[in-house]
Parts: sequence; structure tokens; C-alpha cells
Amino acid sequence: MQKINRNVVLALLSLTSLVFLLFQLCYYKFYLSQKNGAAFSKGRGSHSGQDSTRWHVVRKFLGLISSHNIPVYLIDPLILGLVDKDIEQIRSSPDGPSPECKYFCAPRDFTTFALLDKTWKHDAGLFRTAEKMGFQWLKIINKDPRLDGMDDLSGMEIPLHYIFKLASHAIHLVVFYERSGNFLWHGPLRLKQHMDRKFVPFRKLHFGRYPGAYEKPELLLVSIDDLKVQIPKNPSSFLEEMSHSRFLECRYREARAFFQLYPDDASLDAVEFRKKAKSLLHLAALTLNNLGVKFWLSSGTCLGWFRQCNVIPHSKDVDLGIFIRDYKADIIPAFQKAGLPLKHKFGKVEDSLELSFQGEGDVKLDIFFFYEEDDHIWNGGTQAKSGKKFKYLFPKFTLCWTEFVELKVHVPCETLQYVEANYGPEWKVPVKAWDWKSSPFNVQDNGIWPIDEWDNVIQIY
Amino acid sequence: MEEWKPNPAVKPHKKRSWYLAWKYKLMNQRALRKLCQTGAVLFLLVTVIVNIKLILDTRRAAYEEEEESAQDYDDEMLNVEVPRHPVNNKKVLDVEVYSSRSKVYVAVDGTTVLEDEAREQGRGIHVIVLNQATGHVMAKRVFDTYSPHEDEAMVLFLNMVARGRILIFTIKDEGSFHLKETAKNVLKSLGSQVAPFLSWRDMWTFVGKKGGEVYGEKHAKSPALSTWGDPVLLKTEVHLTSVEDAECHWPDTELNRRRKRFCSKVEGYGSVCSCKDPTPIEFNPDPLKDNKVFDVPVAVIAGNRPNYLYRMLRSLLSAQGVNPQMITVFIDGYYEEPMDVVELFGLSGIQHTPISIKNARVSQHYKASLTATFNLFPDAKFAVVLEEDLDISVDFFSFLSQSIHLLEEDESLYCISAWNDQGYEHTAEDPSLLYRVETMPGLGWVLRKSLYKDELEPKWPTPEKLWDWDMWMRMPEQRKGRECIIPDISRSYHFGIVGLNMNGYFHVSDLPPGPGLLLSSDSDTSTSSGGVPSHSLFHFHSEAEVLDHSKNPCEDSFVPDTEGKVYVMFIRMEQEADFTTWTQLAKCLHIWDLDVRGNHKGLWRLFRKKNHFLVVGVPASPYSSKKPLSVTPIYMEPPAKEEGAVAVPAVAAAAEQT
Repeated sequence: MQKINRNVVLALLSLTSLVFLLFQLCYYKFYLSQKNGAAFSKGRGSHSGQDSTRWHVVRKFLGLISSHNIPVYLIDPLILGLVDKDIEQIRSSPDGPSPECKYFCAPRDFTTFALLDKTWKHDAGLFRTAEKMGFQWLKIINKDPRLDGMDDLSGMEIPLHYIFKLASHAIHLVVFYERSGNFLWHGPLRLKQHMDRKFVPFRKLHFGRYPGAYEKPELLLVSIDDLKVQIPKNPSSFLEEMSHSRFLECRYREARAFFQLYPDDASLDAVEFRKKAKSLLHLAALTLNNLGVKFWLSSGTCLGWFRQCNVIPHSKDVDLGIFIRDYKADIIPAFQKAGLPLKHKFGKVEDSLELSFQGEGDVKLDIFFFYEEDDHIWNGGTQAKSGKKFKYLFPKFTLCWTEFVELKVHVPCETLQYVEANYGPEWKVPVKAWDWKSSPFNVQDNGIWPIDEWDNVIQIY
Repeated sequence: MEEWKPNPAVKPHKKRSWYLAWKYKLMNQRALRKLCQTGAVLFLLVTVIVNIKLILDTRRAAYEEEEESAQDYDDEMLNVEVPRHPVNNKKVLDVEVYSSRSKVYVAVDGTTVLEDEAREQGRGIHVIVLNQATGHVMAKRVFDTYSPHEDEAMVLFLNMVARGRILIFTIKDEGSFHLKETAKNVLKSLGSQVAPFLSWRDMWTFVGKKGGEVYGEKHAKSPALSTWGDPVLLKTEVHLTSVEDAECHWPDTELNRRRKRFCSKVEGYGSVCSCKDPTPIEFNPDPLKDNKVFDVPVAVIAGNRPNYLYRMLRSLLSAQGVNPQMITVFIDGYYEEPMDVVELFGLSGIQHTPISIKNARVSQHYKASLTATFNLFPDAKFAVVLEEDLDISVDFFSFLSQSIHLLEEDESLYCISAWNDQGYEHTAEDPSLLYRVETMPGLGWVLRKSLYKDELEPKWPTPEKLWDWDMWMRMPEQRKGRECIIPDISRSYHFGIVGLNMNGYFHVSDLPPGPGLLLSSDSDTSTSSGGVPSHSLFHFHSEAEVLDHSKNPCEDSFVPDTEGKVYVMFIRMEQEADFTTWTQLAKCLHIWDLDVRGNHKGLWRLFRKKNHFLVVGVPASPYSSKKPLSVTPIYMEPPAKEEGAVAVPAVAAAAEQT
């Protein structure tokens, strides 16, 4: 009896679970197909039909763009990566028909193009034509950062990104703006409340997570997959640039609040110092960029940028940081050639290197070299008369671009941590009496240079 | 099926063929039962696994989807959506209009759209125009019809208002003294029964539709000359029409879309909103060949005088070689109407939160505008600075295009200005002639970026300093002896009279309009070949004929009746700042005499009777050496009595004029 009961129970259970399973399978299938049905296949498992979709969409888009005389260029990292491999061949045969669809047929959700804002007229006709051609489009606008630093100017919001969607493919058009400092800037992609969050899988976009800074690219007209497009002349350097293009805007609002508390020094001396510091920084940037040495704003100059978006008028020098791995022996002669004589050189490449150049009118350019350890980064200091060594510790950081005194320069992305490490939690309060040996928050004694090395590690001119 | 193998129950039959096993199982009840049981258990197990997988999959999909909704990409700022005005389905507006000696107000549906109880201000007839479909205020004006000619302005305005608009009138203090017959007739034609009989210090309110019905009118007669009529409050209802009826049916183009947006918001811009044959808002002037200022940004500095701005932008966009993309209008304050005008022309506009007061406010606005201009156009080396109350000539950009290289090459230049302070109709002649002057006229000028960024911006007067930006720029500390290039015939014309810095009286009565608009466009070819008075090129006209110094220079006969000659006269000028004789001479020549303008090294150049006329200050000017020994410089004494009376207001006015 018991056994039969058990059998019946088991059979019943099996039946229910079978029904349940079937139901779930159906649901699963339905669910997935619905997701796919939303015009956006996830790219999982390529469908052969999609290949040409992308190509057709891109072609249509290029037609739309050229009919309105809008010069766009291709910045899609995946395609540029492919193009870069064949760049010689593409350059040499700009017009030849291509035997196979190599670049625009890989199934992707997006193709990314760039548009220089000043080259088009914000012609609304473009969107009407786009709609007629079947595109759905989305415009992402936001505040104009070029006016952000200004006292309470409110301009019109500017378009930062456009997305044109047709069938299962979308074109992401990134709008680049020229900024002071002779570089191009694109904005972050941020959706406003009322926007359709599912218009496209935004997460997969290659541009827009952060704002970015780029050099003005030279363009090249090429024909790939029978489509004529402009691409950056040197795709590999563009891709390299893209990988660390993140841009930080100065914190203008906080800077204004700072100036409310501590009114800016508008004395003639301050104006003069700022002018000199600015031209010194421009000269230093030019020199180091020519050498291809990556540098960032450090110490007081970095604090000035972070706290008040300007040079601190009572600081007496300009401070830059360079990773020791980027050190080049040419640095000193290059600065001398630029008219900045070496003032002193402390330390050596292996340890605590620090260079100081004499700029125009008593303004000094200090270059600190940073040494990377497993869990921190440090730079060194040396007291000339005693041979004492100091060490300044920083948490690890990466570099971001920013705009400072009409210059595109690097700052640590983790600026707050960097500044706090250096100046402590009270960094917001201006300190005029500053001693580099004791004032910094992160200074440590680091022993003394052996006397026999002094000639080498303490050089004063 | 393989899972069956490890099953101990079927172990004995492991090696048999499946068919046989099945057969055997069928025969063996016990084994079958066991088998079924195992099968059921296994099946349940599989179901559980599939279930778990499904749950995991669904969760992952859901998570991905959530991710895709891109929280990362959400605007950090919690955009508090401005609550949209609920679609106004209401067909009736409640309108309240109040008129009294010291206060007027108008409320539409409980919202006060006009309230004026300031003393000594806002006297006259207040007019409000409402959109007949939406009830929005489209224009607000006050015409001080106590004073002469204001009624004409009112008639002009009322004639511009489109048919069908709702008009609201109310009088504050006094509105009838100079309300002439014509104006009264216009009001009568709008349906007012009282207007023809309005008299001294009457109070009056009226609401009506242009070319249509009257919604209400109230009137309180003044009982005696010394008293005002009782305050009147008119409450009435206005029936709204449909939006379609309130709009014109222009062809659907981008331009007309802008026009439509503009015309449904504001009134008083005349034919731009006319349904039949509206004036164009795109001008497409001829491009300039070899235009060197095509990429130079143009900053238009504006306040809240949208009608002026409208006129200004029209003239700007009609100028040859204009590049609308480089134009930015900077509006001092959050005024809507100037922004509407900017959008009508498809230009970009920037509003500026007012900082400080009076002149300092203007000065801060200039600073913000100039900084923003160079931020927005980081490549630009120059900026053209214009104001909302300027007309510019058709060849304005041609003039700049041909002269801008001077600013680029010559460090001793401070600016290029389109305005000649001494360029009156009777003193300016040569469209191809440029001067170099020690003063900075402004009114349409070019600023070098390096000058602004390196010198002016860092020490620009702070908001608490109530300085005029232009007076500050003219101070020797800033100008540092640098000079400006100006044309003989002005390329800009200052039409504004209600601005902060323009004393209307002087402008209207003393100064004939500058000849800026008389320019012929063929001047552009000749400017470059014309005398460019840079240091090296500028030489004293040795062929100049010395005039007869025994005659009175104020007399017309002082200059012979010739044409195209060059004459020179010498006046006494003891040192560089001695302008006694010049001022008297300027007075009798009817040119700018309130302060000294247009001079260069003690020399003034202008035209008299179509002859070039040079005035040299002796001995201060280096050109004094050209004076023949026999000639005694003319000395003109300031009229003794007038000096005290005139000099003081003159200085004050000079400080005010820009």
C-alpha cells in the first residue's frame, strides 16, 4: 500500500514538475524573444542577417550626413582597430572596391562617429530628413562647460551626443567642441529623467561614460567596404589617445564658494605672478610635450586648480609631477634650450630625483619625479644644507586631462585623495606660511644622503 | 540515459541490451516499480536543475537589463522638471485692471502681470497685449502721454499689434495731456467709448480685442484740475479662441517655425509677424571675398531692450560677410523677450545673472561676455564687440576685414573702432580713409585677445567698484599710450537713447546722426589702398595749403569754396592737455566738444566743405614745425560767463556719453 502511495505521489510530482518545466521553458523563450524583438539583439550568437544591416545603416547615415554637408569622421574603436591593421593597404588604394565586407559587417550594436561642433550649423532639417529615412534619434544635451567657469552665465544647453537608430543598428554621433588650450572635448552622456533609458543599451557605448579630451586629429578620407568615410589619419595613435582620454572639469562651483570665503587677491603683484606662472606653465608644457614626457600638475599648482581653478597667487612656483619611468636625460637640456636654466638638481634617477628650473622673474619651475610602489607612489625631497632626505607619500592614482590656464594638462584623476594626502583635510583653508619640509601632511623623514654622494645628488647652480 | 547505469538497481542487467532489459523490467514488477521511482526522482532532479538555471538566467538578464538602463548615465543632478503648465482648456480668462493716481495693476486669472506703484515712474497709459488663444502676455508698454509725442509712439505700437490680440489699457497718474486726436481715434476704433473724451487726470481702464469685441471699460472723471479721478477697478472676462485662429498659416519651414514661436510669444515687432508677406528673418547678404573676419567672434552686448536688439541684429545680419555662427548675444539678466529675439534669428544667446548695480553691472556684464566669447571661440585672436543699440553699415565687416591686419601687426594699436566721434555729415567725406587716434571711441570695435587675456581681464574692475568699463579702458594705466584705428566715415551708428550711458538730450538735439548709414558699398575696394595712418605711413600732408589765419575760423568763408583740397590751420595749444582753443573751435564747427576726441599728436583731421581740413595744435604737436613762421596760431578764448555754466554739465555729460 505504502509503496503504491509512494509511486502515485512520485508520478504526480513528476507530472506537475513536467508541466511546470514546460511552462517555464515557454516563458523563457518568450522572454528572450521579447528582448530580441526590441530591435536590439544582444550580439550573442551572430545572425547572418544582421551583417548587412549594419552596413546598410552606416551607408544610409553617411548619405544623410553628406546630404546636409556635415563632416563627420569615424571613431569607432573596434573598426579603427581593424582598419589599423590594414592601414597601409587602405591608404594606398583609397578607391578600390573591396572584395568582402570586412569592417562594417561585424555584428555590433553601434557604430561611432565624431562631429566637430563648429563645422555644422545645428540645422534642424537634418533630423527631419533622418526621420523621413526611418531613423529614430535621440539628442543628449547638457550645460556648456566652456561657460561653466563663468560667474553665472547661462547659455543654451549644447548637444553632446546624438544617437540615430535604424532597425537593429544605431549610430552614436559624438559632438566634439574646441576648448581653450587648443584641444577637442566631448561631454559625458547623461540621460535626463524623461529620456528613454532603453533607447539603446547605453552601457555598451564606447564614448560617454566620462568626458574626454583629444588632440585635433588629422583626417584621412578612405574607402572601406565601399563606403567613403573620414578616419583619423593615424588610427593607432587615436586609439591610444582614447584609452586615457578621460577629462575632469574644474570644480567651478566649489571654486566660487572658495572665493566667497577667501576673496581673490587682485593686487598688481598677484596679477603679475599669475601671468608669469601661466606663461611658465605654457612653456613647460610645450617643452615636455615635445619630448613626449607625460606630466601632471602637482603640489601647489594642483591645489590651485582643484581649489580655485586658478594659480594660487601667493605660491611662488609652478609644480609638476612626472613618473620616474618617463624620465629622459633630454629633459634638462630641453628646458635650458627653452630659456629655463637649471637651478638645482636633487637626488638621482634611482632615488628622490627633483629638478628645479629658473623661470622668468623669480618664478621657479619644480619638477618632482614620482616612484611607484605596490601600494603607494612617492616623491622625494632633499634639504641642500643638511643632505636630509624627505619622502612624500601618495595613494596610487591615474591621470586625467583637464583645462587649466588655457592649457590641456594632466592632473591626478583621484585629485581629492592626492590633495588630501599632500595638504591634509584642511586643504580648503589657504596657508601662506608654507614649509616644504614640515607643512605637507604626507612628509616623512627618509634618512640622509651619504656624504660621498653629495656632489652628485645635491647640485645647485 | 547514462545516469541509469550507476543505479544499483539495474546493475545486474548492465551488460544486457536495452531491449532485453526493458523486457525483463516489464516482467519484473518490483524492478519496474523501482525503476519508475528512480526515473521520477531523476526527473524531479532535472526539473530542479533546470529551475535553478532558469532562475539564474532570468536574474542575470534582469540585472543586465537594469545595468543597461544605465544608472551610470543618469544625470547626476536631479533634474527637477519644471511643471509644465497644464494644458489650458479653459476658455475664459478673468481679467482685473486697476487704474489710479499712484498705482496700476493688471491681473490675468489671478496672476499679476503688471504692478506699478513706484513713485515718479510709469506715468501715462500702460498697455498690455495678451495672446487671444493662450492668454500669455505678449507685450507690455507704457506711454507717457502726459509728455509730447508719446501718443504717436503708442499709435505706432497699436498699429503693429496683430488683429485679434487682446489689449488692456490702464492709466497711471495722468495720461491725457498730450493724447492727441489721432491717438484718441485709434482708441475709439478699438471700441473705447470713453477715450475721445479722456481728460486731465481721469482714471481709465479698458479691455478689448483688436478689431473685435470690447470686454469692458471703466472710467472715473477727475472732479477738478487739482485732483485725480477715483481709482477704478475693472473686472471682466475674456473668451479665448483656439490656437489655430491665433496663428498665421505660413508655409512650414524651419524659418517659419522660429517665426511662429516668436510671434505667438511677443508683440510689437511689426511686419515680422504679419500673416501676409512677413518681413524676412534671414538675409543672406553677399559674402565678402577674402573675408579676414569670417572667423572672428562677434559679441553683442545687450540689456533688456528687445526692440533695439531686434533692430541691431537685423542690421548685423544684413551686413556683407557676416557669419551668424560666430555671433553670440549676451543678455544682462534673465529677460525672456531679448532671448526670444535672439532665437527668432537663430542665433545663440547667453543670459547673465546681474552682478552689482548701475555702471558696475554693465562693467561686470562686459567682462563675463568677453571672457565667455574667448572661451567659446578658443581659436579666435580677436573679438568684435557690439552693443544692442547700434546700427552697423553694410560694409562693416568689409571695413574690419581690411583693417584687422593692422591690429595683428602693430603692437601700438589698442583697438579698431567703427565709430568716428567727429564723423558728422558735414565733417566726414572719404569712405576709404582711416585715422589713428589717441582716444578709444568704442561703439563697434575690435578687441585683441592677448590684450584682454593678459592685461584687461586679470585686473578688470571688481563689482564693488562702480566704474564704467569704457572709462576704465580709456585710463592711461590700461591704454598705455596705445591708439585706435577709426574710419573717417563711421561704420556704426548709435541709435539708442534710453540706455544708461546716453544722455538723450544731447544726442537728439545737439548731434545730427553720424553718417554711418550713408556709406556706399563700393568703399570696400578703396579702403586698403586708402591712407592707412600707421606710424610709418602717416606723413604730414606737405601739400597742405595754409589757411588765412586772420579770418575767423568759425566763419564759413574761412575755408575756400573748393573741393578735394587739403587745408591746414594752426591753433594755440601750450601743452599736450591744453584744449582751450580746440574746444571753442569744435563748438563752432558743430562737432563733438564735450571732451577731446579724435586727436592724434595734437592734430585733428576732418573735412570741411569737402576739403580735408587739418588742425594742428602749436607748439604741443610735433607737426608744429610745419607752421610757416609768419603764421600766428589762432587762439580762441572760452566765453567767460558760459564756462562755469557749460563746463560742469559738459564734463558730466562727457562722462556719460560713450
